[in-house]
Amino acid sequence: MADVVLSNVNKVFGTFTAVDGLNLDIRQGEFVSLLGPSGCGKTTTLRMLAGLEFPSGGEIRIGDRMVNDLAPGQRDIAMVFQSYALYPHMSVGQNIAYPLKKRGVAKAERTAMVAKTAEMLQLTPLLNRKPRELSGGQQQRVALGRALVRDPKVFLLDEPLSNLDAKLRGYMRAELIELHQRLGRTMVYVTHDQLEAMTMSDRIAVMESGKLQQFAPPQVVYREPANRFVASFIGTPGMNIVDGELLQENGRWIFQSQGFSVDAPNLGPDAQSGAAAMGIRPEGLSIGTGPIEGVVQLVEQTGHENIVVARVGDGLRMTGRTNPDQPVRAGETIKLSIDANKAHFFAEGATGKRLNKAAATSDGPAKSQSALKEATS
Amino acid sequence: MRHIMAKQQQTLLERRYSMLGLFLIAPTVLVFCAVIVYPLISAVYLSLFKIFTPTLEGSWVGLDNYRVLLSKGEFWTSLRANLIWTVGTLSLQIIFGVGMALVLHQNIWFRSLARSLILFPYFISTVVAVLVWKWLFNDLYGILNHLMITAGLIDWPIDYLGSMPNAMISVILVGAWKYFPFVVIAVLARLQSIPDQLYEAAKIDGAGPIARFFDITLPQLREVLVVIIMLRAIWDFKEFDLIFLLTGGGPVTSTQTLPLLVYKEAFALNQMGMASAYAVIMMLIMLGFMLVYIRRTRSEES
Ligand SMILES: Nc1ncnc2c1ncn2[C@@H]1O[C@H](COP(=O)(O)OP(=O)(O)O)[C@@H](O)[C@H]1O
Ligand SMILES: [Mg+2]
Repeated sequence: MADVVLSNVNKVFGTFTAVDGLNLDIRQGEFVSLLGPSGCGKTTTLRMLAGLEFPSGGEIRIGDRMVNDLAPGQRDIAMVFQSYALYPHMSVGQNIAYPLKKRGVAKAERTAMVAKTAEMLQLTPLLNRKPRELSGGQQQRVALGRALVRDPKVFLLDEPLSNLDAKLRGYMRAELIELHQRLGRTMVYVTHDQLEAMTMSDRIAVMESGKLQQFAPPQVVYREPANRFVASFIGTPGMNIVDGELLQENGRWIFQSQGFSVDAPNLGPDAQSGAAAMGIRPEGLSIGTGPIEGVVQLVEQTGHENIVVARVGDGLRMTGRTNPDQPVRAGETIKLSIDANKAHFFAEGATGKRLNKAAATSDGPAKSQSALKEATS
Repeated sequence: MRHIMAKQQQTLLERRYSMLGLFLIAPTVLVFCAVIVYPLISAVYLSLFKIFTPTLEGSWVGLDNYRVLLSKGEFWTSLRANLIWTVGTLSLQIIFGVGMALVLHQNIWFRSLARSLILFPYFISTVVAVLVWKWLFNDLYGILNHLMITAGLIDWPIDYLGSMPNAMISVILVGAWKYFPFVVIAVLARLQSIPDQLYEAAKIDGAGPIARFFDITLPQLREVLVVIIMLRAIWDFKEFDLIFLLTGGGPVTSTQTLPLLVYKEAFALNQMGMASAYAVIMMLIMLGFMLVYIRRTRSEES
């Protein structure tokens, strides 16, 4: 059952279109991330869901209600702000109790609900403190508590972890996943961090320049990016993308670029001869033997693997991964080969469509652990 | 051994720093003494004498001035007038000031123009302002009476400044008009620094406009209001020119606040010693107020 639906939603600021014809269909209990570079319209979308910004066009439904004309307080949503937005003059307990108070929950019941929420978030010893006496991580928890306490239909979270240090962020990520599983509530999570989106979401909505690029589970976004933008945005180190040309030779597709060519065995019906791009993830590139020659520019040691950046032809940079035991040094000339079955091909342009045959991957919300590992390692 | 040497060197350096600190602060302390401490002490000293103002010749009377003053009805009526004036004008300044600041904080198109216009009463000199108001208030040819009679609100002209309680009300209103821009500017500056996200969070938590005012705006303004009230209370309590020029303390002594009484003793009755005693008492009253006020705001903080 669809819980949150955006149909053709636009948002125009003056002459600038921040969100452009957005269609999203979020299921009940789903964890959906809005992912994209800064300025792509994620926050604007979330604020329209919250009722803090009004759409210039289109329709927003939450549950079975059209909410376009409903005030934020009537939408049965809760929001966690990037800056937490805790009420500075109220204690932690008062902050968490505030949404209940404004909804007329009786004092005794309020106290019990606050105590329960505080317990869940380990805030009980802090209930009488003021927000300014808390660390960033604790403030973050209070902001979560204020959202959780009244059990809304939908949770909206705007980059809630971006102000925390790396270690705490990893910890809170796990906490949020657990919380989502426990509550089973719909969550819409805004982030520019693909690692967060990949690890936490049932589905990811990748956005760019106000437009939806792809809306699919993490492993689909990773393995079958809908277009060149999604391919380049997801994954660290990022996908190698090479401009070139698709040719048909004796009934076989070949991709030709400066200095090398590869087979394109699994192109779909949309493929056309002419300018195109090929993408290959670092793990699809083998270093040691192969037809392509490159000069190593940089070797990054992460401990369990080395990331090798090599220059191929004039100015093309290719990133690959090697075992740390394999001796590769900067300045060395190495051989590379591309695993044609792992290559992606895209039509011309920054958001050129993917041309590969569709794989038979299910579109379900289940998370594939192997895809997560690939993305996060 | 080296350990001890290092310690000695450090204390020497520290001592040198504190010497430098004293040296740098000395000019300020000297000026402060010359313009604040010396007049203060001499006021207290003068209040122990009976002094004839034109010749400044006097004789020691000890605490006699204070004894006379506290048993005189005029001191108590002046103190009462002073408190009525201060509380009245200060409350109106705060109410109109905060209200106007809230209006100006909204996105209205003439906001920048309105902001500069609002400062007008605060900037013009008191003498000019009072002259204008005296013309407006005039019972025979003032425009206020003229308009009200034309509108049919009153049958006979009202004597705004020459009868009670009209005179006190008029003084309080002119004082509020003159000084509320100060409140507007200070409050507006604070309003602009309240993060929008607090209001957005409150909206999502289900707070309507009135709840948002009482739960967010007002608590956020609390600190600046404490400072404003403290400053304005001091300034209003010792206000002289506005009242003196508008009513001269009249009718009879009904708007004669303590500063006007000090002036009368010193320059109309030529009793400089007595005037000093009044001034010292005034200072003690203000000091008392401030102590209570600071104590209360501090205990609320914790
Ligand atoms: N109130 C506003 N007025 C004008 N432009 C805005 C406003 N809010 C956002 N924008 C613009 O809309 C675009 C998308 O903003 P936003 O949704 O905040 O991006 P992000 O994806 O980083 O959260 C940005 O270019 C931003 O400058
Ligand atoms: Mg944002």
